[in-house]
Amino acid sequence: MTRYRVGVDVGGTFTDVVFMDEAGEVTIKKVLSTPKDYSEGILDAIGLSLNEKGLEGREIEVVIHGTTIATNAILTRSGAKVGLITTRGFRDVLEFGRIRRPQLYDMEWERPTPLVPRYLRMEVQERIASDGEVLVPLDMAGVARAVRSLLEEKVESVAVCLINSYRNPRHEAEIGRYLASEAPGIFVNLSSVLLPEIKEFERASTTVVNAYVQPVVKGYVESFAQKLGSIGMVCPLLVMQSNGGVTPARRAIDKPIHIIESGPAAGVIGTLFMARRTGMENLISFDMGGTTAKACIIEKGEVTKTNEYEVGAGLNIGHRMLKGGGHVVRVPILDIAEVGAGGGSIAWIAVGGILKVGPQSAGASPGPVGYDLGGSDPTVTDANVVLGYLNPEYLAGGALRINADAARRSLHDRIARPLGLELVQAAYGIHLISNATMVRAVRAVSIERGRDPRKFVLWAFGGSGPVHAAHLAQEMEMVQVVIPPAPGLFSSLGLLFSDLEHHYTQTFWNKFADARLEDVNEAWTQLVRKAYDDLAWEGYANERAQIQAIADVRYVGQNSDLAIPLPNGSLRLESLAILREAFEQEHEHTYGYRVPESPVQFVNLRVIARGLRERPQTFQGLTRSLNPSSAACLPSRQRRAYFGPAFGWIETSVVSRDQLDHSFQEGPLIVEEYDSTTVVPPRCRARRDEWGNINMEVRRS
Amino acid sequence: MAKESRRDPITFELMQHAIAAIADQMAVTVVRTARSTVAKEVMDFSTALCNADGELVALGLCLPLMLGSIPPAVQAVLKRFRNDCHPGDVYVLNDPYDGGAHLPDIYMFKPVFIGDSVLGFSCTVMHHADIGGIAAGGISSAATEIYQEGLCIPPLKLFDRGKPNETLLSMIRRNVRVPETVMADISSQVAACSEGEEGLTALVQEYGLETTQWYLRDLLDYSEERTRDAIRKLPDGEFSFSDFLDDDGLTTDPIPIRVTLKKQGDELTADFTGTAPQVKGAINMTRSYALSSFYFAVRCILDPDIPNNEGFFRPLKVVTVPGTLVDALPPAPVASRVLTAIRASDTLLGALAQMLPERILACGVATDCNISVSGYYPDRRPFVQLDWLPGSWGGRPDKDGIDHLAGLCSNFSNTPVEVIEIESPLLVEEYALVPDTAGVGKFRGGLSVTRKWRLRGAEEAKVHMRADRLKFLPYGLQGGKPGRPGQTLLSANGAIRQMPSKFQITIKRGDWIQHQTAGAGGWGDVLGRDPERVLKDVRDGKISAEHARDEYGVALSPDGRSIDRERTEALRAALRKQNSRA
Repeated sequence: MTRYRVGVDVGGTFTDVVFMDEAGEVTIKKVLSTPKDYSEGILDAIGLSLNEKGLEGREIEVVIHGTTIATNAILTRSGAKVGLITTRGFRDVLEFGRIRRPQLYDMEWERPTPLVPRYLRMEVQERIASDGEVLVPLDMAGVARAVRSLLEEKVESVAVCLINSYRNPRHEAEIGRYLASEAPGIFVNLSSVLLPEIKEFERASTTVVNAYVQPVVKGYVESFAQKLGSIGMVCPLLVMQSNGGVTPARRAIDKPIHIIESGPAAGVIGTLFMARRTGMENLISFDMGGTTAKACIIEKGEVTKTNEYEVGAGLNIGHRMLKGGGHVVRVPILDIAEVGAGGGSIAWIAVGGILKVGPQSAGASPGPVGYDLGGSDPTVTDANVVLGYLNPEYLAGGALRINADAARRSLHDRIARPLGLELVQAAYGIHLISNATMVRAVRAVSIERGRDPRKFVLWAFGGSGPVHAAHLAQEMEMVQVVIPPAPGLFSSLGLLFSDLEHHYTQTFWNKFADARLEDVNEAWTQLVRKAYDDLAWEGYANERAQIQAIADVRYVGQNSDLAIPLPNGSLRLESLAILREAFEQEHEHTYGYRVPESPVQFVNLRVIARGLRERPQTFQGLTRSLNPSSAACLPSRQRRAYFGPAFGWIETSVVSRDQLDHSFQEGPLIVEEYDSTTVVPPRCRARRDEWGNINMEVRRS
Repeated sequence: MAKESRRDPITFELMQHAIAAIADQMAVTVVRTARSTVAKEVMDFSTALCNADGELVALGLCLPLMLGSIPPAVQAVLKRFRNDCHPGDVYVLNDPYDGGAHLPDIYMFKPVFIGDSVLGFSCTVMHHADIGGIAAGGISSAATEIYQEGLCIPPLKLFDRGKPNETLLSMIRRNVRVPETVMADISSQVAACSEGEEGLTALVQEYGLETTQWYLRDLLDYSEERTRDAIRKLPDGEFSFSDFLDDDGLTTDPIPIRVTLKKQGDELTADFTGTAPQVKGAINMTRSYALSSFYFAVRCILDPDIPNNEGFFRPLKVVTVPGTLVDALPPAPVASRVLTAIRASDTLLGALAQMLPERILACGVATDCNISVSGYYPDRRPFVQLDWLPGSWGGRPDKDGIDHLAGLCSNFSNTPVEVIEIESPLLVEEYALVPDTAGVGKFRGGLSVTRKWRLRGAEEAKVHMRADRLKFLPYGLQGGKPGRPGQTLLSANGAIRQMPSKFQITIKRGDWIQHQTAGAGGWGDVLGRDPERVLKDVRDGKISAEHARDEYGVALSPDGRSIDRERTEALRAALRKQNSRA
């Protein structure tokens, strides 16, 4: 019996359901999302696919789900009523945050409303010092009063975050026990359990976000699992996390903070997996859709992660370093930079006659003018139609008609004529300016992290990514571009390739000189034991359980730390010297210098636990059950495309991916397929590799 | 007009993206490579690019109050080195009387050469963790001459044709309390300047020298045009406002700052005539910070997409009288000049409010409070802990002031209590809002904030505290009332006492100091406040039921969960009557 892995990616507009059999053959079903209850649309799509394939539910091995349920709960403020218990004198820490804002000079700015209003933030008398000493014992009568008030207010969820609890969790544990006995049925989150890391605001905010989305996520995941059961699917349900790994449904309910940014992660994991097979290990994944473009770096086969981000902050229109726009969640997340440039980004004219693109987007609705769906503002996609990059008659294999005249007219009336430009100049300008915006995302994950993008392969997907990839690469002086198969649906494919992943952390604030090896080893052993226990419980043992120990290390006095892998086995005396050297190497790599005379310290010890898939299936081919008419629309063989003043208009061959040879073909060339279009400019060349990827060699024009 | 036609709408935008990316990249480099908390966590630094004339072309991350200080600094460098400028040079200065602002702020410039000619300068300015002098961290207001404030660096070469100036470097190293940190931060400034140099060089490769040069000037012209357009739309006239600093810490004399905004056509002038003479204590500022304060205030009313560069400064004129608080002459001490810059900003916004009553917010409380605690642990290891406590934003024409947020004119973050406690012998026992302290109004100001530091892990420590707004209150606007005064308490020898705004003292183990900022000013008539907002504040414990009744004329039901409409109307009617009688 063939067993299937099923990936389910729910977006705001479409839900993609992908089936992969043991041979790696993939089928994709795309349906409209059902925002009222997303699981309904999913169930329909799965049901249809099962029927089409003549499958039964028990033939499904696993369902992997990418969901925005947690994010939406925050964005729409529809999470639980949460109470917070904290140390006397610190009730306002959650509201203060780091007292910073993402925009300067803006008198109108408003702080995001805290997820727990002040009247639900209770203080109790107790105090623990930074060395763990109890300075003031916990006042249990005060705890009882606080809990009673919260219950009277009918909170559904309680977060507990006491000062210095990362160092000594005793008081939080006592409050936890009290809540368990006196307030059964209430969700309880202790910061010392969830995130035993220094910095009271970040810890409190993370704990509160978890408490806020937990009841919603629990309701959703449980009902989804039940519905799967009702159609005979009793397989495990895994949920995609922001860190690129998946987690069992039960743990997603325990720690929903890990699934908040699950959406963009799948595409990066798809990149990682597919690239690994081609032998590439240094890549920048680039995902350009309708509204935004996202970049993420993969170095030596590892995705770069960051330990903190803000939910609900919107796009980083200001500086990435300017924080304060959202709710801080401190969990490992793929380090993805996102900018407001997509196919739907609107072109406009600023005061003084300057051409601007985005960040406003026409999105999928009303969409670009050329879609004829009611859009009237010229967009990047319209410019790409005018330039001849996109098919002037239809997209999506004929599913979407293109009104090229409308696109031209709007671009002419709204942009070219007012600026006194030729139509093609205006269109090319829009293309270039949107590239300039995207360059900033790529720079953010590479140059700003001390990585030279020229040494990386640009791995581009998303509906618009392959249109812009070559020009973007030229801009960044990158030489190699890869467009994977099914670029427009690539994110959902990524779901199928992710392994289980859990993160564990413990602050261990010690200088190397002061750190006792027994203490390091003891702290580390505890984390590792917990990790193995969890993996075993979830059915991953022996060679399928992979543990990676990491120390966050910095020079004393620095504010950011670097993640340095710890050697396996326990640390010995010489290990600290090795660790220091590894840290200094990484420091030099990232920042360009070392400080040999400076003392070095531990900040956190962390463990990443991975449960590896049983049979590491590979992606072999793709059949679609999307649009039977797509076969009828063979690409026209040639059209004129504009490649800047240096080349002008060129009669350009248009081919399908299958028509691409294994040996290089010189550009200009346009590769048209169902879900995307790849532009190969002049002086660049492309070929199809044995895995079906389009490989492009890019030279600066 | 010929110029106009040359500006290509696409190249212009691409060029803007490119140079903004360079300046941002420099800022990222600083954050990633600097060592001190001041630079990394608080981000007390700025990065910039200037054209060959030293005009500011682009800013990376920039503190609003550093905005205007870069041009005078680059001019000081040009004056000294215009004819001794070579590839590989790096210039440095911190002399407040020769291009600088106060000693901890070190300015650094690297010329960008294309062939034999200078295309521009890559610039950074950073507040360093220490610069010697009588107070660690250089924020004391106890000095009476610049000479007591630390190491003063006139415009010098830090690198000469790529060769480091070892003499200067060792002088700096030997004169600061935390040499490793300071030297690392200086390296990080050099690295950022080199990033800027590389970026500008790459820009020339892309666009050619002539075009790049042209746009490095045109970007300024564009900002100037747009700023003039914006100013033209403001009402003509003269608008005056005064505010006060409590004192300079050495005497108890109040210190007035006065400004008159003169708007005519497309130019706007800030005339500080009438401001107090320079003072003995270290809160004097140099003229560059008068410029900064003015640029900041105007920036707040301009369209945010006007690029922040020297073109925007051109229609703005500042008149100061040398020898006054806002244009000090040597050897006046200036270490704590940021306090005066904040107050000057308050005053300027107050004057703008006369011109634009429906746009400007009531007075907030920025980083008026600064504390430095230093000493030695029992094992003789030294410690220095700097901390600061901004207050809240003033009430706004359509919303309340934000409770506890870095001031509009800054964007410093706080330092986590747990980080202070693990890195210093201090225990922070309270960090919270104080109810009933905001200036009342239709839209209230933000509340006072309090923070309490106790010495736990050392026998004694030296404390320098510099605060303000204990006497002169943050103003309200359009009928809104001022906030409540700030205060500082010291508990020592078994007694708690009120402290003056600025002081130095030695504290013992177990002693504590608590500062409470002033409350921010309110906006609009208090009786116009929506009772629902009052109810919410009571529910949240931000105001008491009594405060709601007495100040806002809002009565609540006995359980405090709803508004007693009838009694509220009666209360408000009575208050109205009282007001009209008064």
